[in-house]
Amino acid sequence: MVNKTEEELKAAFSELTVVKEDYNQKGYHLSCDVAPKDIAAVAGFFDERRFYLAVELCVDYRDYLEIVYIFSLHMSLCKVKITVKIDPVKPVLPTISGIFASAYWYEREIREFYGVLFEGHPNLTYLFLHDGIDFYPLRKDRIPVTDNDKRELSSFSPEQSEDSLCINMGPQHPSTHGVLRVVLRMNGEYIEEAFPVLGYLHRMHEKMAENRTYPQFLPNTGRLDYIGAMSFNLGYVTALERLAGITVPERANYVRVIATELNRISSHIFWLGAYLADLGALSPFLYVFDDREQILDVLEGITGSRLTYCYFRFGGLYNDIDDAFIAGTKAVISRIRSRFPLYEKLVTGNVIFVNRTRGIGVIEKERARKNAVSGPVLRAAGIPTDMRKLEPYACYSEMNFEIPSGQRADALDIYNIRLREVETSLQIIEQALAKIPEGPFMTPKVPKKLKPRKGDIYHTVETPRGELGIYIVSDETDRPYRLKLRVPSFSNLMVFPELAKGNLIADAVAILGSLDLVIPEIDR
Amino acid sequence: MARFDIDRFGAGVFRPSPRQADLMIVSGTVTKKMAPVLVTLYEQMPSPKWVIAMGNCAISGGPFVFEGQYNLIEGVDKLVPVDVYVPGCPPRPEGLLEGFLKLEEKITGKRRFPGPVQRW
Repeated sequence: MVNKTEEELKAAFSELTVVKEDYNQKGYHLSCDVAPKDIAAVAGFFDERRFYLAVELCVDYRDYLEIVYIFSLHMSLCKVKITVKIDPVKPVLPTISGIFASAYWYEREIREFYGVLFEGHPNLTYLFLHDGIDFYPLRKDRIPVTDNDKRELSSFSPEQSEDSLCINMGPQHPSTHGVLRVVLRMNGEYIEEAFPVLGYLHRMHEKMAENRTYPQFLPNTGRLDYIGAMSFNLGYVTALERLAGITVPERANYVRVIATELNRISSHIFWLGAYLADLGALSPFLYVFDDREQILDVLEGITGSRLTYCYFRFGGLYNDIDDAFIAGTKAVISRIRSRFPLYEKLVTGNVIFVNRTRGIGVIEKERARKNAVSGPVLRAAGIPTDMRKLEPYACYSEMNFEIPSGQRADALDIYNIRLREVETSLQIIEQALAKIPEGPFMTPKVPKKLKPRKGDIYHTVETPRGELGIYIVSDETDRPYRLKLRVPSFSNLMVFPELAKGNLIADAVAILGSLDLVIPEIDR
Repeated sequence: MARFDIDRFGAGVFRPSPRQADLMIVSGTVTKKMAPVLVTLYEQMPSPKWVIAMGNCAISGGPFVFEGQYNLIEGVDKLVPVDVYVPGCPPRPEGLLEGFLKLEEKITGKRRFPGPVQRW
């Protein structure tokens, strides 16, 4: 697939120099530098070949700004990095949001953090930030926002349209699970348009990464996604190990998989309770919390914390597992298995639940691709893509598991997929427990001051919510030059305005819940 | 069933509207974008009213304070008066329960249970 894409790209654009990269070191197969005027044509090329735009980001190299596009395929492993260099004083670039819907928000983000103007973008207004911030935060030099730019950035106000009623959902609405705000323009009971407003929990993680050393940023990863902290922790640690060339002992890899999968189960069953509470069924919440406490206890035994784990280290683990952990994990497996029939009875067969969720929030394959949806939502749309299978990290390549896939792609399907994924995780844990080798849990002599090689890497892992991509640019110092997190909830939320259109407001809650959003991760 | 039960102290009655609430728990980071919303919420609550700052982020900005930060309110007590601070990142459930008891002590002047034994 890689060779085919390379040839086709060379044939379509003869003036481009396509570079074949070392995938194991960089995380992408091809890279290519494109002139600003050609970017729309190149994006169209990838759109025709059913690529999706995983992430669009900007790096400030002082002499120039570099916009990076990562294009990726769902069913086979082929990643392409396209870069565009633009002038830092007057940064202008044609938009590709008409081709890839996922670029719509990424370009708004780059606009407010870097001041890059995307020509032809329909709505370049504040997404995360607000008019109290008078410089572009992620630029390396302090570049002030001019009054004119500020006026443009804050020009969008959906509340002030005349004929229709606007309802504010959030930022303190109980069913948004955090401080997400969605402005809904209503026509009676039906939603005409939905405008998510983000940034109420923008904690500057990406800016912080540039100010901290690599190990100092480790605790942040647990705070990005407080429900599935292990996966974020693992993603960051494996990305850095790949960049710096640190090997990990076998035993540590197995423990990583076990701990991450336990955390995935706790995340999924937490979602189950919270989602049903959103739909008005309060009792499942109490049942799943009981189960979740058991998992948290087991994880607390080895990590020392209840939620925001920071268990993995570069080159291994914080400490080794003990017999109590293994016994506890086995108890959790049998407990969760024994509870499944109960959930089936309580929820899956419940006619109220089925009628509330069937047929709403349908995500077709094409819509999922255009919006770069990932995780269980993507699998419910009938595309069985899982980073654990597609790009195995830790020791997932040695595990034998099936990826569930749905057909209808509605909220009910997403529910079914998540429950089946719990079973998948249980199987993975069982296999890992059976195979776990003896040996050291930490590579000796990992330098305290990590200085990875010069260059960049795009590394992906599968979190409970979908594809987490970590893009790191290293300049051989002990802190990242740029760290970008492609977070799954952000991409999944992008599809919400399309799904909500024409639905009842009560169904909007059901759709929003089915996407399983974690707000600190979206806002970063 | 759930292990940490605030209903035992009569504190479990959840109200989705600030107009029916007398206690606001600020349980996360307060950003500059959130600040006006938070103050409005506080002002919507009928008196007498109390505030618990839960977690290091709400107390002081916690781990997210660094030189050059542009979006953080370093402590919710810069916006609204805070009665009880519950430290931790994140606080344990027992910590929040103790926070409720401390608030009760502050309001009634006496403690429901004997407190933890002071060993130092």
